[in-house]
Amino acid sequence: MKRPRGKQNLKLFIVNLILILICFITFIPILYAFSVSINEQNSLLGSDFSFIPGRVTIENYRKVFTEEPVLMWFRNSLILAVSTVVISLGTGIPAAYIFSRRRFPGRNAILQLLILLYAFPSLLSMTALYKLLSPMGLINTRTGLIIVYTGTMAVFALWNMKGYFDTIPVEIEESAMIDGAGPVRIVCRIVLPLAKPTIAVTAMMVLIYVWNEYIFAINFMTGESSYTLAAGLYSLQANETSGSWPVFSAASLVVSLPILVIFFAMQRNMASGLTSGGVKG
Amino acid sequence: MKKIITLLLSVTMLAGLLCGCGAQGPSLTEEEKNTIVIWHDKEEAVSGALLEELKTLVPDVTVQMEYKSNLTEALKMVGNDPKAAPDMYFFAHDKIGVYAEMGILAPVTGLIDRQTLDAAYVPMTLDAAVYKGEIYQLPVYFETLLFMYNRRYMADEAVPDTTEKLYAYMEEKTRGGHYGFVEQHSTAYYSAGWIHGFGGCIMDENGQAGLSLPETITALEYHRKFVELMPGESEYATVNTLFQEGKAHATIGGPWLVSAARASGMDLGIAAMPVIDETQIPISPYMGVQGVQVLKYAAENKTEAARKVLQALMQPSVGVALARVSGCAPAVEACYEEEEVSSDDVVMAMRATAENTIPMPNRPEMDIMWTVAADLLVNINMSGQDVTESCNAAQQNAEELIKKMQ
Amino acid sequence: MLPEIMEVGLNIMKKTDTKKKNSTLFSYLWSAPSLLLISLIVIFPIIYTGYISLTNMNVYHWFTYDLIGLDNYKEALLVFDSGFLSALILTVVWTAVNMILQLVIAYVLASLLNTNGLKLRNGYRTLLIFPWAMPGYVSILLWKTGMFNSQFGLLNQWMERLGLSPVRWLADDVSAFICCTVVNLWLALPFMITIIDGALQSVDRSYYESALLDGAGFWQRTWYITIPAIRPIIAPSVVITIFTTFKQFDVIYLMTQQAGAKTGAHIHTILTYAYENAFITNNYGYSSAVSMIIFVLLIVFSCAINMKPKEES
Repeated sequence: MKRPRGKQNLKLFIVNLILILICFITFIPILYAFSVSINEQNSLLGSDFSFIPGRVTIENYRKVFTEEPVLMWFRNSLILAVSTVVISLGTGIPAAYIFSRRRFPGRNAILQLLILLYAFPSLLSMTALYKLLSPMGLINTRTGLIIVYTGTMAVFALWNMKGYFDTIPVEIEESAMIDGAGPVRIVCRIVLPLAKPTIAVTAMMVLIYVWNEYIFAINFMTGESSYTLAAGLYSLQANETSGSWPVFSAASLVVSLPILVIFFAMQRNMASGLTSGGVKG
Repeated sequence: MKKIITLLLSVTMLAGLLCGCGAQGPSLTEEEKNTIVIWHDKEEAVSGALLEELKTLVPDVTVQMEYKSNLTEALKMVGNDPKAAPDMYFFAHDKIGVYAEMGILAPVTGLIDRQTLDAAYVPMTLDAAVYKGEIYQLPVYFETLLFMYNRRYMADEAVPDTTEKLYAYMEEKTRGGHYGFVEQHSTAYYSAGWIHGFGGCIMDENGQAGLSLPETITALEYHRKFVELMPGESEYATVNTLFQEGKAHATIGGPWLVSAARASGMDLGIAAMPVIDETQIPISPYMGVQGVQVLKYAAENKTEAARKVLQALMQPSVGVALARVSGCAPAVEACYEEEEVSSDDVVMAMRATAENTIPMPNRPEMDIMWTVAADLLVNINMSGQDVTESCNAAQQNAEELIKKMQ
Repeated sequence: MLPEIMEVGLNIMKKTDTKKKNSTLFSYLWSAPSLLLISLIVIFPIIYTGYISLTNMNVYHWFTYDLIGLDNYKEALLVFDSGFLSALILTVVWTAVNMILQLVIAYVLASLLNTNGLKLRNGYRTLLIFPWAMPGYVSILLWKTGMFNSQFGLLNQWMERLGLSPVRWLADDVSAFICCTVVNLWLALPFMITIIDGALQSVDRSYYESALLDGAGFWQRTWYITIPAIRPIIAPSVVITIFTTFKQFDVIYLMTQQAGAKTGAHIHTILTYAYENAFITNNYGYSSAVSMIIFVLLIVFSCAINMKPKEES
């Protein structure tokens, strides 16, 4: 079913146009932050704002890297993010696979229950988690934070990957099973390659969550050297008595960049692992 | 199915309980006894100067200043847990009541006797720290709002000394994007000065809400006409920027605004608060005393080290250093004998304004009053609701919420 | 190591015939780590809150609280007055508006991203997720002070340039609601786009080809092929998002009600309402009771409209 080339090109042109426009709208606040961060005057607000400031300076970016322990925060964030992603996938994939493939007593109830748990207003959860972690000596440790993060994302990881596993035809596995492959091999050799997109997406979600989370990080960790990027940024936050808007703006953009780079790099993996013409369940 | 979940839950609970039993730690080593951790949420200049002073004054105690965002919430959570709680924290006096009631604070008189304190401090800074008859804070410096003006627009002679003159000035100058006077009109901390000037209060010393007092109502009624000549935003970023950019001629702001305004090249003047014509009382803002509060666990188990740190903080050199780095008004009386402090106009202005201030209440009920009063102010100033009705409703709401604290 | 043991275990199970019991055990064994984490981090706080709601834990009895039975619930029910009712209605409207806009916009954008032959696809996707790469409070702060501020905000500067008079965007209920919705969409769309985009990738192209051969139009294809195909995949994420939207606190609170920066709008969701009427009392027992009631309310609500991700059985 080929369309005429001209029509196709026109369509692509329009699609590009719309997407560029949407991207621009999305970027207005970010451009604003960028412009504040390279402006020489120390203010978030100004009555004569323009996206291109009169006097450009990279001083604020220099300050972010030299005056704040950003590299240390970056290291902390990275360690937490990588560990959390690994553990989330390590625990989530088997669980999601089981819940997708097997029918066992309690399965449906657990699935429904897990979703309903999201209805809990978690404003008060902090104290409960503190009471849980403190006796185990996990306050002020990375392990404690990793457990909290993994647990928080576990329901999402389970449900999200289960949903995708459901769409992978069982027939492929069944033929492998006839060939005598065990469940671990089936998961590793057959399911995982097919589920690459959902694994990539789940990993990305977990990563972003950890990267942006600051409430647990500032409450469970003490001392600037143990902060993550988001927590450090929060402590930099300009308030009435202290802080500088341009440095804060610069820092928020710096914090976002690694995520974008990783996302860009991972995009290939998010593409479908299902080839067209495959068996559908 | 249900059985499985029940099982799962019981295991979780059991794990929590078992771990809870092991909470009692071994006694402290000498090194631990000699380490004092102080939480704070101040800017680098202040905490750095404090740490420097402490290092020279008590070389034999290891002092760690740790920055903690959300300090007040974190303290509620960690309480006296020796593994996570600090030994002391550096904060304003207004949360003393909460932590004293929670039972995590030790009175400082247990470490330093009352006479020594009385002899050393500006009396009001100690008074602010008294909760139920005990002093829970070693004062370090105090701060209050100041009347500031931009000399480019407002000459020293033209500074209004009464509120009616201020109003006349505002009426004359507020036009074309310029404002005669701006303040954070709908936040409780800033409006309190007006309320006090009429003899009203947000909360009295017995923990009774004062929002429906006739004085409070009159004050808010009177204040409203000023608000009409101010911008429709009440948060600090707008108000401070207007002043710093030269769009507002005068403002009421904290000492922290001074350095920013001067850095932007403004010829900044500081004057006494205008006197309210009707009552002949000046606008009387809240005063906050920043100081060190000692946790019970540290006071009991690290008595010597804690005492040494407190004694060091009483040295005039600490107050002088803080006045130098960030214009704080020292709480130690002797600091004012130093030329460096007595020649600092911001510090001295604060000292003078402090004569007409009211210490922020330190009772736990105040946590509620901040929110309720802010709501009330927004209703009156921004949504244009009737003053008396709003005040009565807010008073009732506050009383109900206070009852619910128990 | 562990998987190998499991594998051996399973092989044994196979040999002893597929006894149902063993298979169940195997299923639980595989999902145990995940379920354990969930019990600790998600379920434990709920149980703990439930427990605290039966005690008198407050500022005056912080460490020495006692069980006091259902007293807190008696008090808590008083929170659910007319103010709460209107907050509840507003929350439902807020959730509905946000979810519909989110799904429609995300679907359209994801479809555009999946246009055949779109070369810059990965570039656009990366740009579109930018809002997500920033911590939420930073974004909200940027919007509030950078865009909506009545004195200096970008919107009002544009209005001025167009010769219009400045607007206090966050002071009026309706416009504040719209502003919050815009910000919430900005924050939430990257997630939704990613999810729907991922789901669209999994739709079998051959279906479209045969549908095109049958002469199905764009809408027919969307309605009869795409949506049914992606529904099971996106359902969990959508349900989770519905709950998060329902419980949204940060956006509305930080935009209009943050202490010291109230804007004059009175838009309350159940959570901001509960915050102002319970949580600020520092009475944990009481606040916990309010939390538990809201929890139950939400569950009843979601059961009532049968909002659970359906599995095609």
